[in-house]
Amino acid sequence: MTLSHSGVYKDQAGPMTSMTVEAMRLTKHYGGRSAVEDVSFTASQGDIVGLLGPNGAGKTTTIRLLTTVLVPTSGEFSIAGHPSTSPNEIRRCVGVLPESSGYPAYQTGGEYLRFFARLYGLSRRNARSLAAELLATVGLADRAGSPISTYSRGMRQRLGIARALVNDPIVVFLDEPTLGLDPAGQAQVLDIIRTIAKSRAATVVLSTHLLPEVEDVCSKVVILHHGRVAVAGSVGEVISTALIEQSAELRVPLDMVERARNVLAGFPNLNVDQLAEQPDVLSLSVDGAGTGAGSSEVMNAALAAITAAGIPVLHFELEGARLSGAFFKMTSEAVA
Amino acid sequence: MTLQVAPPDVGTPQDSCVTTERRSGWLVVAEQESRDLWTSGRGLILLFLFSILLSAVTYLTSTNQALNFLEQRESVNLVLQLAVAVGVLVTLVVSADGISGERERGTLESLLITPVSRRSIIAGKLIAALTMWFATFLVTVPYVWVLARGVGILGEALALGFCVGTLVAVGLGSIGLLISGVCNSNKTSIAASIFLLLILFAPTQLPSGLPQGWFFEVLLRANPIASALAYISSMLVEGHSWSQDLSYLITPLLTAIIAGGALVLAGPRLVRLTPGVNAG
Repeated sequence: MTLSHSGVYKDQAGPMTSMTVEAMRLTKHYGGRSAVEDVSFTASQGDIVGLLGPNGAGKTTTIRLLTTVLVPTSGEFSIAGHPSTSPNEIRRCVGVLPESSGYPAYQTGGEYLRFFARLYGLSRRNARSLAAELLATVGLADRAGSPISTYSRGMRQRLGIARALVNDPIVVFLDEPTLGLDPAGQAQVLDIIRTIAKSRAATVVLSTHLLPEVEDVCSKVVILHHGRVAVAGSVGEVISTALIEQSAELRVPLDMVERARNVLAGFPNLNVDQLAEQPDVLSLSVDGAGTGAGSSEVMNAALAAITAAGIPVLHFELEGARLSGAFFKMTSEAVA
Repeated sequence: MTLQVAPPDVGTPQDSCVTTERRSGWLVVAEQESRDLWTSGRGLILLFLFSILLSAVTYLTSTNQALNFLEQRESVNLVLQLAVAVGVLVTLVVSADGISGERERGTLESLLITPVSRRSIIAGKLIAALTMWFATFLVTVPYVWVLARGVGILGEALALGFCVGTLVAVGLGSIGLLISGVCNSNKTSIAASIFLLLILFAPTQLPSGLPQGWFFEVLLRANPIASALAYISSMLVEGHSWSQDLSYLITPLLTAIIAGGALVLAGPRLVRLTPGVNAG
């Protein structure tokens, strides 16, 4: 690993290439209850991995296992090349924002970060300058001397992210960092997350319920359901695996609707309906077996045929091919 | 918001982490815990209440002394015993909040993911709790000075109170942290600790006129607080030497060694997010 800004990564990383997180059949039981069962996934340097799932799906337990706070009942994992049998080495190269993290009300933001910097071995002087720098990074420089009790929830979350960066980590785990934040606060936090992955070349494992944002920010997604991995992969792969039925809305000039219908009639699996309230819009859907990848092929071919026939496409919107659709399909039991 | 993306250039934590872990992780925790205890006002409130109690007792003993109901040595002994017992009580209360309190406030997990060992965390918390004992002892000094004037036992009384009190505070502070580690809630932990202290303190309050046979002697010597206070009394009131009744200190010493040892051995299993779960 050579993308360190300060040489820390190079020193911290174990015998590894670009694979920073490797979980293999992780299982955690509490007595007879299974919190996490056979969870496996990988992540590489610079990846932002969205860890998704309904409440109680095992996201927090998975993060606690990977950050050595909990010991797995079975299974193995490695972080930055360090095996799970070396928890001290792992703790040195991960940064964590725990779910519902508490903060000492009487400390100031600066004191809080200096304390954690010193726990990682920095001298008082270096801890002071690092704290100032991290507070500036998360936009809290002007509140460094204020007690944490006076911080808003969004400010506390940003302070927690700053604390997670104190050791310039290789992997950053953020457990619901946008929980309870307003849209502006969510945007700020997501902006910081992008920055961590891009400029620090760190892997970010992000647990959240903000599906549209995950789709936008994450390079990989792991959906957990009942403690098991329901699906994992890139956003596209997850949507494809979920085999979500696709439909589309096609808008053409009103005087060409009939011509468009004639062109689309050449696709036997394609259902075409004209919307009563919008006569220039055709609703397209693929019959029964034509879902997922097959559905996409039919839609692409239909769109190509329309344009080849010289019919101007005023609007074309594919529906159903979203992460939220995949999420709800994969976790439908929980939703029901 | 403008993000400054350049990572810090303030040295490499990795190089220093080993140093922290082996040399001063516990010191950093102790420093921060002590600062939290005193700057949050918690320690100051306990100290204030302690000084009110000591003032009242000192006033009453000096009044009795003036009326010749109480000898001067007995006055010093009474106040010193009270200072040790209550000083240890507040130390126990503070240590009983150490782990369960952090769990409830949601601050423990952040500490667990640092490279500082669980034992270092416990050691730091015990030292911070002991600052409470040292502070109560400092408050005691002027009261003992007022009562001990003229009989030449000031130095002896202070040295005795400090040594014996520190021994008992280490033992009971360790027990407080053990209780805090296994309790599900902070309230349970503090209540259990105070209950324990009251049980230990009760025999010292029995009227001296009661028959005191071998059973009472065993009870006294098996009780770390009662035997420690008996040792103080034997020196200050009966004028025994430091070495004459050392057997009274066996139980406080054993308590400190056993509770401290249990803390060291069980530390990694105590400092975890949920008691009763094998969280390593």
